Amino acid sequence: MTAASKQLAIHAEGVEVDFGNGVGIFDQTYSVPEGTILGMIGPSGCGKTTTCRVALGLLTPQRGTITTLGRTPNRFTAGDRERIGYIPQQFVLYPRLSVAENISFVASLYGMSTRQIKVRMDELLAFVDLTEARDRLGQNLSGGMQRRLMLVGALMHDPALLFADEPTAGIDPVLRQRFWEYFRRLRDEGRTLVVTTQIVSEAIYCDYVAVMRQGRILAVDTPMGLRRRVLGGEIIDLTLEDPENIGRALATLRRWHDVVKSVRVAPNSEADLHVVVEDAREYLPEVLNRLENQRPRIVVASAAPLDVSYDDIFIRLMEEAQAPQEADHG
Amino acid sequence: MAELSDKPVVASRETMMTPEWQRWLIRVRAYFWKEVNEIRRQPLLILSLIVGPLLVLILFGSTYVNSNPRVRTAVVLPEEGIPGLEEEQLRQVIGLNFDLRLITRNEAEAEALLAAGAIDLIQVLPDNIFQTMRGGVSPEIAFTANVINPLVEGWVQYLAYAQVNEINRALLVVTTARAQEEAAGIRVRVVDFEGKILEFEQGISEARKEAAEQDLKTFIDFLDELNRILPPQEVLAQHSDELAQLRPILTRVRISLRDVRRALLDETLTEGLLELTNTRNDLQLLSGTLEIFVNIAPDRLVSPVKLSYRNLRGSAYSAVVYYSPGVLALLVQHTAITLGALALVRERLMGAFEVFRVAPVSLHQLIIGKYLGYIVFIGLATLALIIAMLVIGVPLLGNWLQFAGLTLLLIIASLGVGFLISTLSGSDSQAIQLAMISLLLSIFFSGFFISVESFAPVALPVVYAIPMSHGLAGFQYLMLRGLPPSLGSWLGLSLISIITFGLVVIITRRQLLRA
Repeated sequence: MTAASKQLAIHAEGVEVDFGNGVGIFDQTYSVPEGTILGMIGPSGCGKTTTCRVALGLLTPQRGTITTLGRTPNRFTAGDRERIGYIPQQFVLYPRLSVAENISFVASLYGMSTRQIKVRMDELLAFVDLTEARDRLGQNLSGGMQRRLMLVGALMHDPALLFADEPTAGIDPVLRQRFWEYFRRLRDEGRTLVVTTQIVSEAIYCDYVAVMRQGRILAVDTPMGLRRRVLGGEIIDLTLEDPENIGRALATLRRWHDVVKSVRVAPNSEADLHVVVEDAREYLPEVLNRLENQRPRIVVASAAPLDVSYDDIFIRLMEEAQAPQEADHG
Repeated sequence: MAELSDKPVVASRETMMTPEWQRWLIRVRAYFWKEVNEIRRQPLLILSLIVGPLLVLILFGSTYVNSNPRVRTAVVLPEEGIPGLEEEQLRQVIGLNFDLRLITRNEAEAEALLAAGAIDLIQVLPDNIFQTMRGGVSPEIAFTANVINPLVEGWVQYLAYAQVNEINRALLVVTTARAQEEAAGIRVRVVDFEGKILEFEQGISEARKEAAEQDLKTFIDFLDELNRILPPQEVLAQHSDELAQLRPILTRVRISLRDVRRALLDETLTEGLLELTNTRNDLQLLSGTLEIFVNIAPDRLVSPVKLSYRNLRGSAYSAVVYYSPGVLALLVQHTAITLGALALVRERLMGAFEVFRVAPVSLHQLIIGKYLGYIVFIGLATLALIIAMLVIGVPLLGNWLQFAGLTLLLIIASLGVGFLISTLSGSDSQAIQLAMISLLLSIFFSGFFISVESFAPVALPVVYAIPMSHGLAGFQYLMLRGLPPSLGSWLGLSLISIITFGLVVIITRRQLLRA
């Protein structure tokens, strides 16, 4: 992970918690710099929650070492815990308490006085747009409001490090986007966030993404870094006017290997080429020039950087991870 | 959706400068207010907890008539009835203890009703009751019951015993009255025969001899009859020393007169003048004793001992007052156990334990906060119920402070049991189920309806493990007798409180670590 100049909020090396039958987390090594968002992405049961629980001190690793905010989690003092916020996957909401009472309860667990709670609650309810609902009972809140309420509860004591376990699960895309706005805003104010999600496209909102599968971290990188790691660079999608030129175009671009990392015919196409370069937007004009300067000219009908979705990147990463296993079993 | 506020969401550092001891209290207070707020949002629960038991108590007090079971009874009379005992008298005697539904001479009819469950008991009265008695055999009243309740069966046997005693007494009164009637007639003859003995002393002519012998024989027959009809010696002896001598005198006179008769036949009467004088004296004595006997009221003769009863407190309390301490103890315990039983399991299942572990809050703050929340709520509910009880006339004769202390201890002990149930339960419904079992145990084993002394020693650990057993005994002493609760009540509740608190802390700690 880059950002070496920053302090690390979490640093894990070779962490393992084995629940038996292949369930658990294994050989996890990762770091989370302060003031960043680490997104943990992976399918259900891949160990995202367990990874968070180890970092929170709820589980003790059987192997490896981990420090959270500079201390081994199972030796946290009350002071350490006051610097951490947590939004669990399961709703912890008292249906017969109002929004304000639910928040007061959680804030009081962190030792906040009534006056402190009042001031802070007003700020945060405004932040998540729940001011109007402060006297509404928990049982009368919509799913989205309940999620926002939990976010407020976790932020009341102003934690330096916030763990959010699947906070966007089951909510509509608009509110999901809103949540990521909240998270980025908190990040911008200096907090560190660890956010787990099954929604791969949310990777784009994170500073770093850890892709997880079967308890292992397959890759930790920036979203762009992951893309490059999987694709080998960025892709320019070219459509030739004359499919007859496809052979000459391939040969031309392959000769330019200081810029073009690879080039191939797009799947299910006769006139489309996928050209992998370091930076698609930067090299697109040069690629076009290089083809049109050929004699006879190779006319490009259209060209644009190819926007490969993170779903595709995630699937490729999964397939790459699975391939050696299948080879072992085969 | 509105735009994000521009205000920073970073709290000022000033907000985190609260002293540690204050933060400790704030955390306890967090649980306290959460419990209080959750309960106060359930007005129906509050209403049912306070008003419900009070209404039940008032309904019970206003409708409770008698603690004895009403045993529906049929009496089968012999064909000729019972001489000297009218049907109405019988109805009164049996109706004292039994709900007399039928008097019949048809035993089969009564048995059919018994088999059909229309009545609970048949009493078959014997025929020729006096003849049987005269024959030296005890006549038997046959009781046949068809009851399924063991307590009712015990009552039937006891009431049957009491009734037979009552009938025996009634028969004794009748026979004694008859004996007195006949004895009065015989006494006239005794006085008359004194003159005849005097005549014997002066000498009897040959012509009078046969008539005298006949008189003597007749008189002896009368005395034999008197001997037969007199009440048993125990009945006579229990009344007075004079009457205790009636039978011995009578026996002596009968023997003497037989000797006189023999002497008359043997013509040796003049040789036994001293005997005759003694016999005459005995007859005088017999006459005097018979006078005493015939002039005593038969009731006094049969039941010389009278009952005298005084209650130091004037009279016992009404049922509603008597059961009030029990209802209060039951309410306090059941409310505490039910609320406590749900308190921890609900939060454990909803995942709150995970949040508590992440937060800088200790197990003791969690437990103490919950105890305090429920103590305040149940304390207020109890106060409301006590005020309502005082309004309907239930006294509180003892010390108020001791009463408050005992109530507090009962709440803590019951909450401990409730929390323990909560730690052991895997779901809400299981917790409720266990709370209901504890209620059932309390009703049977706390001394609420069945005295604690009714149980075998093996059940005593169960009795003493129920907070209500100690609370009930203490409340009865304080409220109804004006006495302080026994040391056992204080110790029992204290021990339950300490043990359950310890267990709750140990088990909850494990559960928190697993959260």
